[in-house]
This record gives sequence, C-alpha cells and structure tokens, in this order.
Amino acid sequence: MAAVLRFLIAVLLFSSIATASLSQEEEEFSEELLLKPLADRKVLAHFHFESKAPPTRTYGHHHRLFPKALYQLVQKFRIREMELSFTQGRWNYERWGGFDPISSSNAKPPGVELWAVFDVPHDLVDASWKNLTHTLSGLFCASINFLESSTAYSAPDWGFQPFSGSLRYGSLPREAVCTENLTPWLKLLPCRDKAGLATLMDRPSIYRGFYHSQRLRLSSTEFGSTEVESGIALDQTLTVVLQPTTSHRASMTYSSDSVLQPSWSLSSIFGRKVSGRCVLANSSNVYVQVERGLMSELKILHAEDEGSGADNLTFEKTWNNPGFELSIAPNRVIKEVNILHDETSIVLYEYLIDNYSNSEPFDLGFTWKFPVVWSSPQAPLHASRFLMGSGNERGAIAISLKATEPSDGLWFADTIENSCMLRFNVFQVVPWYVRVYFHTLQVFVDGKPQSVTDFIERMRISPSEDKVSPGVMEMALKLPCCVKSVTLTLEFDKGFLHIDEYPPDANQGFDIPSAVISFPDFHASMHFLKDDSLNKSPLLSKFQERSPVLCYTEVLLVPLTTPDFSMPYNVITITCTVFALYFGSLLNVLRRRVGEEERFLKSKDSKKTGRLGQLLSKLFAKLRGKSWEPTQTQSASSSLISSKLIFKVILVAGIAAGWQYYSG
Amino acid sequence: MAEFSESPKDRPSEISELPDESQNSVSDFDPCTMRKTKPGLKRLFLTLTVLFSFFLGSPFLLKSIEIYRSPLPFRDIDSLSDSVGSSPLLFPCHFQAIFVGFDNFDAYDLGISIKHEMKKLTKHPVCGTCSDSNYTLSVTVDSGSGCARNYNAESTFMWRCGAIGEFDLGGGGDDDGVDEFLGSVLGSCEGFRKVYSVVVVNRGGEVRAVVGKYRHAWIVGGVLEEGMNAVVARVAETFVKVFVNGGKEEGSIHGEFMPVGADGRIVLSFNLLNADPTDWIYGWDFQRIDEILLAPVIKALGPVANISVESQVLYHTPKSSFSYWDEKWDSYIFSTKDLPFFVNSNEWHLDTSIAAGGRSKILQFVVYIPSAKECPLLLQLPNGEISVTNAFISPMWGGVAVWNPPGCLRDSESKHPARHTISPQDLQEVFEIFMGQLRQLFGLKSDSLYVGASGTTNLLASERGFTEWELDVLSRQHTCFNLVSCATTLGSLSRLVQSLPRMIIMDEIGKQVKFSLEAAKLTRSNASLGIYDASAVSSRQARSLAEDAFFHPSIMSVSYYSFEHCFAVYSPFFLPVSMHVLLAAFREWRRYKQETAKYLAWKEKAKVAAS
Repeated sequence: MAAVLRFLIAVLLFSSIATASLSQEEEEFSEELLLKPLADRKVLAHFHFESKAPPTRTYGHHHRLFPKALYQLVQKFRIREMELSFTQGRWNYERWGGFDPISSSNAKPPGVELWAVFDVPHDLVDASWKNLTHTLSGLFCASINFLESSTAYSAPDWGFQPFSGSLRYGSLPREAVCTENLTPWLKLLPCRDKAGLATLMDRPSIYRGFYHSQRLRLSSTEFGSTEVESGIALDQTLTVVLQPTTSHRASMTYSSDSVLQPSWSLSSIFGRKVSGRCVLANSSNVYVQVERGLMSELKILHAEDEGSGADNLTFEKTWNNPGFELSIAPNRVIKEVNILHDETSIVLYEYLIDNYSNSEPFDLGFTWKFPVVWSSPQAPLHASRFLMGSGNERGAIAISLKATEPSDGLWFADTIENSCMLRFNVFQVVPWYVRVYFHTLQVFVDGKPQSVTDFIERMRISPSEDKVSPGVMEMALKLPCCVKSVTLTLEFDKGFLHIDEYPPDANQGFDIPSAVISFPDFHASMHFLKDDSLNKSPLLSKFQERSPVLCYTEVLLVPLTTPDFSMPYNVITITCTVFALYFGSLLNVLRRRVGEEERFLKSKDSKKTGRLGQLLSKLFAKLRGKSWEPTQTQSASSSLISSKLIFKVILVAGIAAGWQYYSG
Repeated sequence: MAEFSESPKDRPSEISELPDESQNSVSDFDPCTMRKTKPGLKRLFLTLTVLFSFFLGSPFLLKSIEIYRSPLPFRDIDSLSDSVGSSPLLFPCHFQAIFVGFDNFDAYDLGISIKHEMKKLTKHPVCGTCSDSNYTLSVTVDSGSGCARNYNAESTFMWRCGAIGEFDLGGGGDDDGVDEFLGSVLGSCEGFRKVYSVVVVNRGGEVRAVVGKYRHAWIVGGVLEEGMNAVVARVAETFVKVFVNGGKEEGSIHGEFMPVGADGRIVLSFNLLNADPTDWIYGWDFQRIDEILLAPVIKALGPVANISVESQVLYHTPKSSFSYWDEKWDSYIFSTKDLPFFVNSNEWHLDTSIAAGGRSKILQFVVYIPSAKECPLLLQLPNGEISVTNAFISPMWGGVAVWNPPGCLRDSESKHPARHTISPQDLQEVFEIFMGQLRQLFGLKSDSLYVGASGTTNLLASERGFTEWELDVLSRQHTCFNLVSCATTLGSLSRLVQSLPRMIIMDEIGKQVKFSLEAAKLTRSNASLGIYDASAVSSRQARSLAEDAFFHPSIMSVSYYSFEHCFAVYSPFFLPVSMHVLLAAFREWRRYKQETAKYLAWKEKAKVAAS
C-alpha cells in the first residue's frame, strides 16, 4: 500500500515538474504600476517589475531579458532567496495602512536591509554572505560591504523568516539612498527608464516624496533543493509616497471642517506622462486602488445622493461617482472578493498601457469631488520602540505595542471564540556595544508588570560577543485578545569602542536597527475571482499570495561616550614633556657647582645691576606696592630678572610669533 | 630651573678658585686666567657618560620602533629586469626543408644558403621569436631513390624517403587533402620537438605556396624556373616570417598588447544591441553558437589563456554619433574618423562580469542592430570604400559588428514589434567576423593570404580558428609578454618599496616575489629548452604572482607609518632631552678646556718663577 502511495506521489511530483518546466520555457518580463490615494492626502505609487528566467538545466546560460549580472550572482553564490531594499523615510503604519500586501512586503526599515538564503553547506554560508555583500556593494554603488563584518549581520533562526541555518540578515540604518542606487537598479530592467512605466521615475519627483523604498527580490530554484524547478524570479519594486501639489481649487473648504483632498494626475505628481509600454514587457498595466474604508464612505455618500434605491453593483463599477472621478475610463474594474465583507471591498481600476503611444500619452487624472475622510486597515498591534534612561552609562530599550481599533474584526477570524489569543514574533538585532542584559526582560501588560513566562511562548537569544557578533533576540509571544497594550523592556550598558572603531561622525550617535514584529496568524492577501486574465498580472498574483503581516519599528539612536580623538597624542606630548623636564633638571643638578655659584653671586652683588634690570625691579616693586630699594640684597629677585633671562624670553616669544606668522 | 643653573657658569673662570687666592704667595697670580689645581674630571665624565649612553641607546630605540619589512630580493629583481630588457627571450626552433625533384643539388650547400637567407631576415631579434644562434636546420634532398641530407640533420626529424611519391602533391586544388597527407607523413616523425617543415616539389607549372594547419608548408610548381636563389629565399621567408613571426605585417598590433588578464583569464562577452526595440526586436540563438563555433576555439586557445564566454541582449542602445544618408550607396554611412564616437558608453551597459575574477581581461564583442531611422548602416573606410565586414575592432577592448536587418523593413506601424531571431546563416557570418577580430586582437592576420617579398602564400584556415603553428607563435609571444610584464611589475614594486622606507611589507609579499622570480627563472630555462607550453604556463604564473604581490591589500592600505608620524610621537621627549644632554656636555667640555688652559698657564708661570 505504502509502495503504491509512494509511486503515486512520485508520479504526481514528476508530472508537476513536467508541467512547470513546460509552461515556463520562455523568459518573461512585466511592468505594472499601482496608484492608491492615501488617507492623509498623499498618493502611493508602487512600481512592480518582474523578470523570470527558466531553469538553467533546460534553458541554458544565455538570456534574452533576464539581467546577466543577477544571473551570474545567483549562480556564483548559489542564492535561493535574497532581498535587498534601499529605503528613505519611514512607512507611516497608522496613516498608510499596516494590513495590506503593500505595507507588509514593501514597508522597509530606513537605510539598507539585506537578507539572503544560500543553497550551500552550513559552514560555507558565512563566506558566501561576505562575498555577496561585496558584490552587491559594487553592483549598487552602496556601502553594503559594511555588512561583511560579523558584528553587522546575524543568523536568525525562526523569528524573521522560516529558513533555518542558511539565512543571514543584516541592515545598515544610516545608509543614504539616492539616484546612484537607483540607476544600477534600473539597469537591470530591459528597457531601463527609456520606455514604459519606468519613464515616470523623474528623479527630483520621486526623491521629493515622504517615503521611498527600492527593493529587489530574487528567488531561484536552480540548485535542486525544491522539487519544482521554476527557474529564477526577480521582483523589482519601487514604492514612493508623494504629496500632490494642492491647487487653489482644492484648498477651498466645504461646509464642514473637512478639506477637499488634492486632486492629482500622473503628470502633476511625476512631472511626466507614460508614452507607451516597454515593448519587451508581456504586460504593462496601471492600477488605481481604492481602499475598503474609502469605498464604504463613498457608498454612504452615494446612498445619501441617490436615496435608498442605489444599486451597489453599478456603483462600484463606475469611475465617476460622487466622491471622485477618473479622467480616463478604465479597461476593467476588478473587485476583491471578501467573504467577511460582502458589503464593501477593495476596487481596482485597470488600464492597459498597450493602447497608448507617443502621440497619445497616458496621463491619468484623479479628481476629488467631495471631501472624504477614511482610515486604512491596521495591523493588530501598533509597534513603537524607544529608549529610556539618560547618561552615557546605561539605558533601556522599550518596545511598546498598542492594540489598534479592531475596526473590521477580521483579524479574529481564524481564532477560536472563547480563547482568542493573539500571537506575534519579535526579532531584534542589537550591536555588541549596546550590551543588553536579557535577564532584565520585563513585560508590562496594560501597564502592569507581569511574569515573563506567562506570555512568552518561545524565546531564542544569542548574546552578543564583544567585537565578534551582535546580540540577537527572537521571541514568540501570545496575548489574550482583550489586552490593550504590551510593553517589553530590556536594560543595557553602553560599551566602549576602540578608538579606531568609531565612525567618522561619532558624536551623532549609534543606530540600533529596526526590530521586526510579525504576526504569523494574520495574512495580508486579497482574493479575486478566479479568472485567467487575472493570473497574468504578476502584481495581482503577488497580492493574492498569503504573506504574513510584518511591521518594522523605528531606528533608535544611542549616544555613546565619544573620546577626544586627539587624546592619545596629547597624552604622549604631556608625558614626554614631564619626562624631559625631570631628566633635564636631574642632569643640571648633577653638574651643578654649588660653592662656585655662591661665590659668584656674592661678587655679583657688589657690582651694579644693569639699567634694564633696575627698571624692571622698580616695576616689580611698584606692582607689589612696596617702595623701591635701589640696591637689592635678595639674590633670588635679581636672578629672576636678569637681563639674560629677559632676552631669552623675548627671543622665544619672537620665534613663536614668527612661526605663527609664517606657518599660519 | 635650567636657566638658573646655567647663568652662573657662563663666566666660571672669573670666580674660580677664590679661596686659594689668599694663600697664594706668588704676587702676579691672576685668578681670572690661572689656577693652581688640576681641573676636576667628575662632571665632564658624568655628562659625557650620559651623552654616550644616549648614542649607544639610539640603535636599541630604532630597533624597537622598527617596522617589519620582509626582505625583498632587490638584486634578483634588478637582474631579471636587466636581462629581460637587454636580451629578448628567444626560443630554439627546428626547421627542416625537403626538396623533391632537385636531384642535382647538394643538401649541404642548400642548408648553408638557406641559413644565410634566414640570417638576413632576422637582423633584429624580437622577443618571442627564434634566435639565429640556436636553431637547427636540416635539409633533405629526396631524389626518389634515395635521400641526401646535410650533416646536422638529426635522426629525430627524419623524412621518410620517397614518401611524397605516394601522393600527388598540388595536382588538383585540394589543399586540405594535401595538408592532411603531409600532416600524417611529417607528424609521425615529429616526436616531442616541434619541427617546422617546408616541402618544395619541383614539378613544372605555376608556383603555389601554401601553409597548412599543422607545422608545414609546401611549395609546388616550376620553382626552378625562377632560379635556385629565389627558391632558397622563399623557403627562408616562410620559416622566418610565417612560422616564427606569425605572418604579421610590421605595424600591426604588437605582441605587448596581449589581451590576457593578469590571472591568465579572458572573458569573451558577446552583446547583441537593439538600438531601438520599438522598430524591431532581434534575438539570437547564442546557445548553439556557443556550443558549435566557440567551444573548439576556446579549447584551442587553452594553453594561452583560460577563456569563458557569456552573452546578453540589450535594448535602447543608440550609438553616440550620427551617420549621414548617401545616395550612392543607398544607405546610411558612418565614416571611419567618427569611429571613436560609435561606442556609447552611457547607454551601452556592457558591464564587467561578476563571474570573472578581479583581474581577468574582458573582451567585448558587440553586434549592433541599427534602428529603422539609420538602416542600412554601413561603415566607410578612409579611402571612400565600404567596409566588407561592416565591423571594427578596438585593441584591448574588443570588436563591434554592425548587422543590418534584412530589407530594413519595419513590421507595419503596429505598436508591438514582433520578435525575430537572427537567421543561423547571418549569425554564422557575424561570428566569422568576430573570429577574425579575435585573431586580430591577438595580433594575427585575419585574412588567408600572406604577401611576402618573394611571392604570395596561401594560409589555410583551421576550423578551430587558430592553426597549430599560430598557436605556437601565440604561446611564444605570450611567454615573452608575460615575462616582460612580470619584470616591469617587480621592478615597480622594488622601486616603490625602496622609495617608502617606512612601509610595512608582509612576509606574504616577500614570498610571492620569491615565487614569481622562481617561476620567471623556470620560464627562461623552459624557453631555452624549447618547451613552449610549459614556459607559457610558468610565465603566466610568474606574472600573476608578481601582480599579486604588487596589488597585495597590505600595500594598498594606508598602513605605512610615515616619518612625520614617528617624529611627532618621539620629538616631545627626545628634542628637549637631547638639548639638555648636548648642551651640558658641550659646556662641561668647554669649561674643562678653559680650566686646563688656566692650570697650564699657572704652571708655566710657576716654572718661570722657580727658575
């Protein structure tokens, strides 16, 4: 029986391999753009480019569309998965949403984040990682090579991604992101920014935004670790949040306090229009997404306008409704299918760029007609992280998680009614010079300190080792749903660095990379009706994937004691001077002739002191407030103001002045 | 404090020995210029001891702050550079000439006259060729019934007498057949030595000279009609100009521009550029080309370099200069003087390769497909003619070939151009051009004719791109080039190291230099024995080790401890202390001299007074 079963499984596997390799024998490239009005009067633009290469075994080494550099990268380092992101600004989870596919996979921590899974034996993973960081830093003109040092990266076990052993994770919070990183990224696209949707990437416009995240994700099945060979897939996304410029019309207020949202068009936010697709792309689409919250507000508005007899279906199909108007009729309207909310759902308006050309460029306009206020879906907990304590000696890190309004109630969907529990994972990397004491971990639930073991299901800690490895903390927590807030605190001591380990601007402080909070029970995904045409769009199929909800906390800035960097030289100088003084005086004492000196002074007393000496002794006497005695008997004062000494002092001062004058 | 103690002893003589004055009975005793006691040596001794201990201590100090420098064999490096610079590396070569149908001639005389002609042609020996002092020449006159040889014909390369009679040489035009036949006859007696042979057959008719794919050539026809001297000159020219020098013209790319990376690797990067994909999109079946055309070439070039191949297709890559429409040719013309502006480095992202190591040489080969606006695009030579190959090379960079789509027809006015594939015939033509370019980049001729002083010679092309005698030429030149570059690199390293006396030099660098010198020595000994492949390998090793030493990360970093730094650290102590010590010693010495003078003066006076 078992043998038959095994045979059946083998047959099934084989057939799946066969179909997979047959269906994907061609390289593919597609470009898509998603536009979404955000609740705080901004616009999200999400570019998504996907390149696919068939497996090398059947297709060979030479490609038509897939970038050569990345193919070689995958082959050389045997990468199974890799994600590299360059981000500027911080994703605003409260206003821009924290429970949708875009925020959970495209909201990234500031700076550079890199993680990679290698298909090599465990003892070679570190070497591969080091070589990969150097290659990537050359490829993307960034200082990713700083992730090479073992103090900068970590090997998470289960807290970040479920690849044990061969996963490496590192981030550089202070990396500045600019066009020099975007240009090599664009070079990987077959049309670069010469044609297609990428022509919209006008550098001043996209870097003016509030949030800018450029991401590259590779996944390959080249090395036979998975059953199904699908080749290499490369996802390149650019997510920007832009502020449409408010025209005078938009600033006029409506009856209530609410202000009309600024209307925008592609040319007003990017300064450019799309003049046709990239001819190499299999599909080239633009989507406008209307969120659920906005849709329900609009429905209310619509109902007010039309009375009760309004038809929901026709309402959602229109692009010209009481709330807003799209300047071009969409080619298709796609509606999300949601079991829980059949009332309102996300609506996507699809435009095919195939139909536009140079003479007839695509310039979509979105005009608001009525002020609408709505909110975006939130992750179950809102996370923020801050520092406590003062001074340069010790402090504490606190991660505070607040329950968001269970606006939809949907996140309790897959839990049992009576014992509703909320699970989440915390993954945090702390540099070695912030010496965290893990025994000081405290959990405050709703403001009250609680026993740690009550809430923590699982915990894995690898303590930091000085100058060798950072501290890594992975925690799985379980909370009852009724909890309003949770705070985790950890105390730490600030370490001392060696003088040459300080970065150039040490006084600015040191960054602690973002912590990652993930909710394994919640999946941000959209569901669309099963339709063949939908599967063609890689963006929509990405949205349909079940990806766990993920959010990043803020980057922390820890001020450390910074030494005076000239100190070693000062110490050398002052020590040497003291030694020289001691040595010189000792030598003088040794060769001094006391008897002779006394005789000399006696004979000198009988003579008259010089004119200058007299004048000076007069001056001294005046300063002391004593009457001047023309002939002084005290030998000490006369030797003090001997003309020779004064001459020497003047000489030294003159040399010093001259030196200062000529060298300065 | 120092000042106080110094001031009184500036005039020590004035007050010295005052207590003695009262006891002095001599009336003309002047205390300023005389003294009665011997001056003491205690303080002088003390200060001098301190001074000398300072002098003695300074070597210890210098030793303790010394920077570790691995001892480099500067003398060996200099001798290597000198020997490479003064006498070019020359190989021993073995030649044999076989005369068929020359019954009246003496082999010995022929040998003398061929040697004489060859000497005339090799006046200035170039590095990587054969010297006239260490080649051997054997001459065989085959009269059908028996052979006459000159005296130094060795048994190792013996010609089987009468072998030529078994085959009709040069009767038809089947050069390949003749070549194979000669290859089988000569190859059997070749042994481990590489012998270059010329077979001269006197048979009447037009004279034809052909150089085969192996290491032999044949001259067939009524050669005696031009006189024996012409035959001898021709044989000598074939030996010297073709087999030794590779049939290169003067002024072609010199052997010093050998396009091989420092690690002995070459990456051939083939790029297909679609200038404007909105007009047409062309792809290619590179996989097939790689397997059929490139693999044998790469295998053939194995001894010279380790070659890998990669390819990519790029789009939206216009050239950076403009062409003009010419009615006469009915096409767009791009003239040669604009060629430096053809390659558009802003838009052509040819890129270096991740797969290749750091110091590999990358040769770019580009197929440029013009856009509809400039199709057909032709390259014009300076003399006004159109380039036959429609391609050009850039030494040490690679080559570009322009390929015009058939008919230059745009697929209708649709917005979605269809994908085409370059037909296998066209692709084969393009890659034949690339093969010629590769040969040119290596410094060989790209066409199959050699025009010498004494006539034209056909060169048979090998299906592997490079014939055996050409590969010999390449490996000889490669050895020479590697040795020269190894010597220059080591020379620069030794100059750099000597100019920075406070630079740290790791042991590893010393080791690499040592091994590099050893490999260079081995190269020279192999070369003198005539083992081309082994000398090419060891020369490559010598060069790569020399480059490794020169580009060692520890030299690259700023870890050298400058003299200024040293001075800044030690001067706060040693400057003031040495002032004290020197001044004290000087003063004590001066005082001692003065006091001695005084004492002597008093003694003199006392002597005068006594007498």
